[in-house]
Amino acid sequence: MRPNAWVGLVAMVFGFIYGMQAIALPKAPIGNPMAPIYFPLGLAVLMVLFGAVIFIIEALKGLNSDDKSKRPQFHFHSMKLIFIVIVLCLLYTAMFDHLGFVFSTIIFLMAMLMAINGKNKSLQNGIITLCFSFGMWYIFVNIFQINLPASPLGIF
Amino acid sequence: MGEILTHLLNGFSVAMTPYNVLWLVLGAALGTVLGMLPGLGPTTGIALLLPLTFTMPATTALIAMASIYYGAMFGGSRSSILLNVPGDGAAVASCFDGYPMARNGRAEAALAISAIASFIGGLIATVAFVLIALPMARFALKFGPPEYFVLMIFALAATAAISKAALMKGLVAMIFGLMLTTVGLDYQSGTARFTFGISELQGGIDFVIVIIGIFGIGEVFENLEHIARDVAKPVQTKFGRIWITMEDWKRCFWPILRQTPLGFVIGILPGAGGTIAALMSYNNEKQLSKHPEEFGKGAIEGLAAPEAANNACSVGAMIPMLTLGVPGSGTTAIMLGALLILGLQPGPLLFEQHPDIAWGVIASMFLGNVVCAVINIPLAGLLVRVLSVPARILYPLIVAVAFLGVYTINFAAMDFVLLTILGFVGYLMKKFKVPTAPLILASVVGAMMEQSYRQSMMLSDGSFGIFFGSPICIVLWIFAIGSLAWPFISEARAEKKK
Repeated sequence: MRPNAWVGLVAMVFGFIYGMQAIALPKAPIGNPMAPIYFPLGLAVLMVLFGAVIFIIEALKGLNSDDKSKRPQFHFHSMKLIFIVIVLCLLYTAMFDHLGFVFSTIIFLMAMLMAINGKNKSLQNGIITLCFSFGMWYIFVNIFQINLPASPLGIF
Repeated sequence: MGEILTHLLNGFSVAMTPYNVLWLVLGAALGTVLGMLPGLGPTTGIALLLPLTFTMPATTALIAMASIYYGAMFGGSRSSILLNVPGDGAAVASCFDGYPMARNGRAEAALAISAIASFIGGLIATVAFVLIALPMARFALKFGPPEYFVLMIFALAATAAISKAALMKGLVAMIFGLMLTTVGLDYQSGTARFTFGISELQGGIDFVIVIIGIFGIGEVFENLEHIARDVAKPVQTKFGRIWITMEDWKRCFWPILRQTPLGFVIGILPGAGGTIAALMSYNNEKQLSKHPEEFGKGAIEGLAAPEAANNACSVGAMIPMLTLGVPGSGTTAIMLGALLILGLQPGPLLFEQHPDIAWGVIASMFLGNVVCAVINIPLAGLLVRVLSVPARILYPLIVAVAFLGVYTINFAAMDFVLLTILGFVGYLMKKFKVPTAPLILASVVGAMMEQSYRQSMMLSDGSFGIFFGSPICIVLWIFAIGSLAWPFISEARAEKKK
């Protein structure tokens, strides 16, 4: 299918679901009970409308009549890398408050550098990771006076 | 005029405190470095560095962000000239003649003229800013909720309608941005909207997370695609004297002066931005030149004109943000958002209630231009070494900085999940060529827009006629419709010419 047709389709589906959720929103206890609903509902209608216009324009051109080589390409290697980074980001979220900033960042950044920069550059990755993690800790905690989660060890 | 001068002198006294000057210099240097790095540019740069400003006084924060912005505009052309890879969209026109100049052994002259043209363009535009700011802010005092609502519609429509091809997708992105702002507790009624029982969502989705996610993380995801075949280009880091000859200066003088006003006016218009300013000025100069055949082969005026225009544009873009409180670009949207976080409402009242901040920032524009010129001429050889840092190391560090920055907003690690999701959404938007600027703009002005809408409806007892009830509203509607129709009109004109 044409890439723009996908955009139209996703916009329509998203707008429809959002609109259904908007209708189901709780009514305001004070003032006009529908007041918190009008604006989101209007957005949902516009989203479905714009999505439909995009889809219809693309359908009129022929949904599969485009140059397939110009469609967005999702290569296995790059998608794998993006997926690894996403998983690492979610793991970082889970670790952050428990292990503290320094230790969770060391694990996160080291793993990301190993995935992106290469496993054969462990020393370089390690030096960068340690400098960044301790450096940022020092700058934020001591210079900007912004508290970052401390480790269970009580230091850093 | 006397009043403006008094305000400006006060502004200089505010901007020239050691702390502000320190951040001005640091911001300009950081901005130059970030602007240089291909794929980052001013919007992502400011977004990533935004959390740093939370601990600063409002004036310093705005000065730091403005200097990052100018620094990035100066720096964007370094990689255009030396690598033929623009640091940001606005620097694309600098590749056309900047890179051929470097290939012809004139990298020093190219680096010098790009900084000189940027400096002059920025300086002239700042003088124009000073003359326009106060009258515009006073005019904006006539704006009530309906006028603000229509003004925001105009700003969003103009940003979404950058090109005919992407018009509908721009509108979809804009609506998506507005939808994100409806998440959380409704300020007027206390009703929870789209929180799905998740307590962390009750405060809403902070627009800084949206910006860093869509721009910063999305950009990194997109660049990860190229990382497999990433071969760092060799960068020239040793230079002779970075300066130009009298002959070069004579060729560039008029192009700089001619294209600066164009860039400034384009900057004021919502949505247009530095890329359009730079490309238009390049084409103008090519048409006006006695030697158009030299363009694209290393004509120095082909580099000077877009550089002057895009810096003038960046100054012009600050006008609607500071005087009306409505940003006209992704970058100024972030700056507006930062001011809101600091408890300030940009707009006409900023000049009345906080003249020290408004004029301090304006004065810092003059200083910022000088600092950027100093950084970008004598220190160019040093700064361009950043370009030799491999992307394989750079991007993981950007992700880590982005996460750290986001944490400082709400001190909640749960925001990392939102950041990751939005980063992936940003990546998909780029893959499917959906413009991201309307989403960013909408995510910043969305809450204000809804408030203006609801206040207007209360004032009019539910009648939509209030949005057409004043001459200002009608003019703004004409602008909004005109900006949506413009891509079609300009295409029809181009076809007619053929």
